Amino acid sequence: MPASLPAAAATHRIELRGLTRRLPSGERLLTILDHVDLTIAAGEMVAVLGPSGSGKSTLLALMAGLDRPTEGEVLLDGEPLSGLSEDRLALLRRHKIGFVFQSFQLLGHLTALDNVALPLELLGRPSPRRRAEELLARVGLAERGHHYPVQLSGGEQQRVALARAFAARPPVLLADEPTGNLDRATGERVLAVLRELHDEGGTTSVLVTHDEEVAALADRRVYLRDGRVTHVEEARPTDERGLAVTLSTTT
Amino acid sequence: MAPRLYLTWLLRDSRGARGRLAFFVLCLAVGVAAVVAVAALADNLDQGLRKEAKGLLGADLAVSGRRPPPAAVAQAAARLPGARSCLLRELDTMSAAVAAPGKVPPSLLVELKAVCDGYPLYGRLTTEPSAPLSRLLGEDGAVAAPELLERLRLRVGDRLRVGEATFTLRAVLKNEPDRAVSPFTLGPRLLLGERGFARTRLEQFGSRIAYRLLVQLPGNASRPQVDAAAATLRAALGEAPWWRLQTWSQAQPELRNGLRRVERYLGLVALLSLLVGGIGVAQSVRAFLASRLDAVAVLKCLGVRPREAFALYLGQCLLLGLAGGVLGGFVGLVVQRNVPRLLGDLLPAQEIHFWQPGALLRGLVLGIAASLLFALPPLAAVLRVPPLRALRRSAEALPASRLARATTGVAVLAGTFGLAWAQAGEPGLALRFTGALVLAVALLALAGLGLRAAAVRLARLPRPLVLRHGAALLARPAGDALPALVAVGLGVLVVLVAALIERHLTASLDAELPKGSPSTFLVDVQPDQWPGVEALLRREGATAVESVPVVMARIAEIDGVPVEKLAPRRPGGSEEREQRARRRDQRGGQSGTARERNEENEDGERERPSEGERRWALTREQRLTYLPALPPDNRLVAGKLWSDPARHEVSLEEDYARELGVRLGSRLVFDVQGVPVEVAVTSLRAVDWRTFRINFFVVVEPGVLEEAPQSRLAAARLPSGRETQVQDLLAQRYPNVTLVDVRQVLAKVAAVFRRLGLGVRFLGGFVALAGVAILFGAVAASAVRRAREVALLKTLGFTRRGVAMLFAVEHALTGVVAGVLGVAGGAVIARQVVVEQMELQWRAFPGTLAAALAMAVVLTLVAGLAASARALRQRPIEALREERE
Repeated sequence: MPASLPAAAATHRIELRGLTRRLPSGERLLTILDHVDLTIAAGEMVAVLGPSGSGKSTLLALMAGLDRPTEGEVLLDGEPLSGLSEDRLALLRRHKIGFVFQSFQLLGHLTALDNVALPLELLGRPSPRRRAEELLARVGLAERGHHYPVQLSGGEQQRVALARAFAARPPVLLADEPTGNLDRATGERVLAVLRELHDEGGTTSVLVTHDEEVAALADRRVYLRDGRVTHVEEARPTDERGLAVTLSTTT
Repeated sequence: MAPRLYLTWLLRDSRGARGRLAFFVLCLAVGVAAVVAVAALADNLDQGLRKEAKGLLGADLAVSGRRPPPAAVAQAAARLPGARSCLLRELDTMSAAVAAPGKVPPSLLVELKAVCDGYPLYGRLTTEPSAPLSRLLGEDGAVAAPELLERLRLRVGDRLRVGEATFTLRAVLKNEPDRAVSPFTLGPRLLLGERGFARTRLEQFGSRIAYRLLVQLPGNASRPQVDAAAATLRAALGEAPWWRLQTWSQAQPELRNGLRRVERYLGLVALLSLLVGGIGVAQSVRAFLASRLDAVAVLKCLGVRPREAFALYLGQCLLLGLAGGVLGGFVGLVVQRNVPRLLGDLLPAQEIHFWQPGALLRGLVLGIAASLLFALPPLAAVLRVPPLRALRRSAEALPASRLARATTGVAVLAGTFGLAWAQAGEPGLALRFTGALVLAVALLALAGLGLRAAAVRLARLPRPLVLRHGAALLARPAGDALPALVAVGLGVLVVLVAALIERHLTASLDAELPKGSPSTFLVDVQPDQWPGVEALLRREGATAVESVPVVMARIAEIDGVPVEKLAPRRPGGSEEREQRARRRDQRGGQSGTARERNEENEDGERERPSEGERRWALTREQRLTYLPALPPDNRLVAGKLWSDPARHEVSLEEDYARELGVRLGSRLVFDVQGVPVEVAVTSLRAVDWRTFRINFFVVVEPGVLEEAPQSRLAAARLPSGRETQVQDLLAQRYPNVTLVDVRQVLAKVAAVFRRLGLGVRFLGGFVALAGVAILFGAVAASAVRRAREVALLKTLGFTRRGVAMLFAVEHALTGVVAGVLGVAGGAVIARQVVVEQMELQWRAFPGTLAAALAMAVVLTLVAGLAASARALRQRPIEALREERE
């Protein structure tokens, strides 16, 4: 049994206030997000659901400071992101945010091990490669550390990406369609690992997906349509059979 | 980011792109190699000259002039404690073998040097057989260079005539330490002793002897000691500016300055190949970064700051620049080692040291600077990659702001100028270089856009099919044509300019002399000899025989101001120009003939007279003539000839007047062998020097100089092939008369230019090489896209051959445009140099132009097709599969 992850030093609450993003489209302004208010508690796992074009990826990008809102605010543990420079945002991501992408986005010129060690190296943590080896073992890829991404299957790549995202024990994890490019069985394995790592790290996680089954993993589900939150569903505490039961509320 | 981490990332980030980065290194190395080769060779030569400086001057101090040094100087030299001195006389004169009675012996123009007993004071003179020089020479001995023995068919022990005396050839001269290294020599060296020289009776009024008093100080005199002795001698010389005092540290300044000038121009040609290589650098950086955009976005998502990402890739460029610099540096050293073989006897014979740290450092610094200069514009894109791209593939890099683009442009221009300055050593030349380059690149780029537009139209023509589709390939957006076009075009341009200038020089020198112009000059004909000499010439079939009186004089006053005041001796500064002007004059057989002009043109500069030039114009020994009317190749540009009965008049050549700083109405006093003669400038003339006829800077009104000591200068056109016979006859009967064969002199000059031209073309080849490398790189960089094109075309039913034909059309079109532009640009620049600077007739040389064009097309075609080879070989399914991934 691999070593479990110690809890993060601090957990973080994410608040979105009146978050609006408009993009120019030809002559007109297209509203991608329209006054979204949402608070995600520290240690909570939230899934954001919606059809394509509902604005879920933009929501994620805004939370990570990859994009800037037209109106409104993102607050990470009470601190607004809007006043931060590109450099400050980069440092914020380095210290606080882990990322999982739909297309894995492993660095092609680095081995799996180097990819996982990267955030640790960036933070100047001691012996990053040994820690990366532990993490790879944790996601079941102990033997594949020296392979390059092209030599790994999609599911393996995404597990490497998960190891990388959790490597520095970030207080916040943002995942964009983490199973979008995987077949069903592989996707389920990846999700299981994701939930485990989340629980062990006490991380605040946001999952963007269009897949109800993926969302079933989360503590809470937020439904987006045309840039607005249509409703939010709370998950019931899991029953003894391990199935999540959900409550539905409409906003 | 911690330094160690930075380094680790730096090294591993290039993984998977090493091929592309090797191209970066290669492009840079070609340019650095050219830069290092030029610099290392120049350093080598300069070090050699510096090391041998005392031997080259042959003394600690030397006083030289066209008249025997004043007694005061000899006495002052004798009074220097422990010093030895030695007087040398040098003269170009005829020497002949001694033949059986009734036969005309062969003769030859030689560079005669009469030496004192203790000669040489420094350095080793070697002879074969080896013996002390004073014993070999004695009163009737001579030592000569091997060429003289060969030409006069003599052996050691044979006798030869010089002037009115005969000598026994005692040994062959193997090495003369203070022989001026110059490609322009009139004839082989002949050494005589002082007493022997006196017997020749060549030292007479008006003869063209150069005197040099060598002074050796005791022990190994330090520079301050030499300077102190120099001050003593200078005081003894008084104000007379026509004496030149040299110390060993200034030995052979003509040669060293000449080398420096050649180094500058060659250095700029080398820089051009570095800059063309820079285009390749920019390309490979752009291609490399294109494959790293996603990685950069992910790194930013992971919290790498924009400037850290930038520093990461900048560091890689630095490392690659270093690698290219080191590689190119060593290649350059290898090349410089072999260059002397190419240039042959143009260079002073000396050992070439492989290891030249200064040159290597120059190459490294310039190489790294160039790689940063050209890498920065594409690198700046790293700053603008949005991290959002990791989430949304379509997120494009932010466009560069107008300010950023302008800043980059200015930085590249300033950097180019800086590199040119480093190579040229002076900002003016660097500025002209940069300007010309910007113009050339702009024109080539414009042509590239034009080609694209033309290709679009061509692609719409109904047929032929291959041409249409080939044009379509060229017309597609993001084609590879533009950088390749610029690079190949510049390469062709440089090679062609060098080739054309060389061809014009050699053609003008090889060509039959202009109709009616003389083929020989006769110098130092004594007035009473002239009737006999003229009769001899006519008997031998000479035409266009003319002769004018020559009076040696120097300027004493201009408008009442003594020349000592007009040309004050000033340390440093104008030295170089004076040297050049002096050398030009010393080596000229007669005042202001075409030969002299050609030497000036060799420098490629005709600017306002500098202080040094003016000083030399004022102080040199000037040849005057007197004529009732001007020769036909003279044209009055100001004043009227012999128009003022109240004054003695003089007519000056306009450039010479400008050098002197005099105008119409100025009053000149000439010192004619000690007698002051006052004349007024009443006319200025333009002279067409290309006619090769006798011409003078200074023509005096008849009735002024008739009684002065004088000789005659004559010119004649001899039937081709008769020159040697006439020379031998003259040498037999009038041994003091020196005959200069224009054709022979021109042939020597032509040989020198051919060698120099070879050197420039060799360097130009580096530019062309860099151009081809870039083309190859550009085409290879688009391999994936090309593979897809090939796959599609093959799927549609094209054969491999058919696709190859399409590519061939595409590359050939690029080659034609680059070639036409390179050829046009090269011809324009060459024409400018040939007509404006060398004053030669422009000729088109269609063969050379066609060859340059063909070279451009063939190189482009071969490089382009070679780079497409992999794409052509691939099976369609492989390419389509790659695309799907």
